[in-house]
Amino acid sequence: MKKQYLLFIIVAGLLTLFSACKNQAGYKTLIITGQNNHKWKASSPVLKQILDETGLFSSEIMTTPEKGGDMKTFNPDFSKYKLVVIDYNGDSWSEKTNNAFVEYVKNGGGVVLYHAADNSFPSWKEYNEMSGLGGWGDRNQKDGPYVYYKNDKLVTDTTAGLGGSHGKRREFLVRARITDHPITRGLPVAWLHGTDELYSQLRGPAKNMQILATAFADSTLGGGTMRDEPILMTITYGKGRIFHTTMGHADEGGGPSMHCAGFITTLQRGAEWAVTGDVTQKVPWDFPSAAGVVLRPDFKEMTLDEAFANIGNYDIAKSTKYLSCIQSHIRDLAGDETGTLKIEKMMVKVLSNNEATVGAKKLLLRELSWMGSDYSVHAIKNLVSNAELKDEAEFALTRLQK
Amino acid sequence: MANKSSRRDFVKRSAALVAGTFVLPQIIPSSAFGMGRRIAPSDRIVIGSIGVGSQGTSNMMDFLKLKDAVQFVAVCDVDTLHLSKAKETINLANKNSDCRTYGDYREFLEKEKLDAVSIALPDHWHGIIYSAAANKKINVYGEKPICRTIKDGQTIVNAVKKNNIIWQTGSWQRSVANFHRGAELAINGRVGKIKYIEVGLPDGNKGIGTPPVKPVPAELNWEMWLGPALKVSYRGVSHWDWRWILDYSGGQLTDWAGHHIDIANWGAGLEHTGPVEISGSGVYPFEGIFNVPVEYDFLCKYANGIEMRVANASRLPLGMGTTWHGDQGWVHVDRGDIISASDPKILNEVIGENEIRLYKSDNHWQNFIECVKSGKPTIAPVEVAYRAISVALLGEIAMTTRQTIKWDPDKEEIIGNTRATRLLSRPYRQPWTLPTV
Repeated sequence: MKKQYLLFIIVAGLLTLFSACKNQAGYKTLIITGQNNHKWKASSPVLKQILDETGLFSSEIMTTPEKGGDMKTFNPDFSKYKLVVIDYNGDSWSEKTNNAFVEYVKNGGGVVLYHAADNSFPSWKEYNEMSGLGGWGDRNQKDGPYVYYKNDKLVTDTTAGLGGSHGKRREFLVRARITDHPITRGLPVAWLHGTDELYSQLRGPAKNMQILATAFADSTLGGGTMRDEPILMTITYGKGRIFHTTMGHADEGGGPSMHCAGFITTLQRGAEWAVTGDVTQKVPWDFPSAAGVVLRPDFKEMTLDEAFANIGNYDIAKSTKYLSCIQSHIRDLAGDETGTLKIEKMMVKVLSNNEATVGAKKLLLRELSWMGSDYSVHAIKNLVSNAELKDEAEFALTRLQK
Repeated sequence: MANKSSRRDFVKRSAALVAGTFVLPQIIPSSAFGMGRRIAPSDRIVIGSIGVGSQGTSNMMDFLKLKDAVQFVAVCDVDTLHLSKAKETINLANKNSDCRTYGDYREFLEKEKLDAVSIALPDHWHGIIYSAAANKKINVYGEKPICRTIKDGQTIVNAVKKNNIIWQTGSWQRSVANFHRGAELAINGRVGKIKYIEVGLPDGNKGIGTPPVKPVPAELNWEMWLGPALKVSYRGVSHWDWRWILDYSGGQLTDWAGHHIDIANWGAGLEHTGPVEISGSGVYPFEGIFNVPVEYDFLCKYANGIEMRVANASRLPLGMGTTWHGDQGWVHVDRGDIISASDPKILNEVIGENEIRLYKSDNHWQNFIECVKSGKPTIAPVEVAYRAISVALLGEIAMTTRQTIKWDPDKEEIIGNTRATRLLSRPYRQPWTLPTV
């Protein structure tokens, strides 16, 4: 009787805990869109997906009235949200809504400004202080200096001139300028970003702003300022934190800029920082490097199971990403025996699979040669008689049996 | 001793024969005439080259500049276009048509009677060919990094020592004034007691994806190019770009270890030892056949308390080069005659006669030739080169395993880590084996 009672208490306790977790499904997030000189109908659902994918956010999309519509009807209750994402470049909001937004940020609300959001509201002073830098909309020297890096030095440039430009869309190298910020901590210092507009010549108040990353606007690659232009910024306003990314120009379905694992990850990390001031997310294994752009077809990080599901058909002429995923997981285990053996068993399964390609087996044999155990030896010995795999099998056995 | 005069006679005779009619020009190496490998200063050093791609050609040109001291007689390469170009250059310099060419280093080492050989090959070939040349008692000018694995390096060091040959590593920064000056300031305590060293090496490059399999060009012996490395299809990547593929190189990290890590060791008195603990991580490409780390960052701890951080330049405050941090300041050196310090006064410091005076050379190639003649050690001996690349190779292992590696620099063993220990060597594809020493 007593035991049953105890069990009941435990189960009830767990259920309560579970539902409590469920209620906290994520920071309530509002994505504002509805007007933009960009394809907001394509970008806003992608932003929602990217944020919700982390499990940290629970976001909803709210659209403003169309251009020329009655903005008085647009009255979000910002106080319900921990994060507001602006995917908007259009008519001014009502003064009441503007004031409510300013109050929200002043009181500690988090904000993400995405791409053309920094084109918006050129005459709204507080908004421009939140964005730090903006472009177009007749912004010029009256709005603040140009801010950029030149020869690795931060430059605040008060030269007269219009704010906002970009060259031809292209892939570009993003360079982290602050590497110990929660958003950039653990990321490579440089990575290639998917084809995008490289916003340049932004100008604004630039108060309480940190430039986390820049990209070089190379004039020889389709137009550019020959400056390292700010790409990722953080701004504080009152108690609020703003994460500003100039990247992510949307095509139908998002396009390469939004499918870029660098864009996705920095947006997810920037959003968390805007809410809490810290980042708890692990750097994904597929974060790009200077070696090349990484595009995620479905915006999600490839899992180890997916890599193993595909590596059997591995054709090096098509892609090395499945092997990269497995290698990265092996590294991350840092010698953990249980985890390593688990991966080793999955690798041996591929070796023993008659359907798996020779290319896949060759590459897995190289990995097993150093991280494998006795568990692999039998399966590898079976491959020595296979003319195509003999060299790799002997390579692995020599190392494993030392 | 008497042989010296007879050698001159012999050289005269063979020269006469060449001028005459039919005989293959056979220049007898200075070292063939007594005194072991000691050579009379008046005699020219007979030299050849294995590997005459970009770096091999560059070294060849530097040796050809020393035309009163060396006689370049033969070249060996797996690419016939490299061979014909090198042959043409040498013949032009020698004003004759005698340069001999080889496609197989074994035949080259067997047939040529050399005092010295300049070797510049992809790293995966170093273990075999450096050791083979040493075993033939030929003095070697060998490109850095001297090995692809620790085991290769140990074999090479043993071969050089056992055969008592003169070895010069292509770590030419040692023969450049600002590096020498920086190292001498550091080792003489001008920044106080050295606590921490930063070594910045180049950032990694953009990848090329996976190019399609291509027919091997007629000029290239692909099988020989691969040698001991695992067989892969030819995808148009061989010369130069081998350094972005782990089978042949560790990327910028191992390519440059023989420069800025070598200089760091020189100025910190770490030339004959290694770290005791190594930890760090790398950034690896997601896609394509170039698979060396694009970024790397690891910390080495030494038994005497010194710490050395090695990273791609963008991660470090002073970027490329070597920076010795002492308890009283720092001094930094890099290419382009760069030398700077926490206090400019440090740079005016005079090093006294009774202080540590580091080996001085103004010409790296000439230093080698002079040492071949004199029998004295070069400015960049083999063990020193092995210790420099060991730092990078241990860093590579720490990044691959993502574990803190414990290293015994005296026994040259990894302590208590089977997986990491496996990475100290690499099995060779049959029929290739490391020469026994």
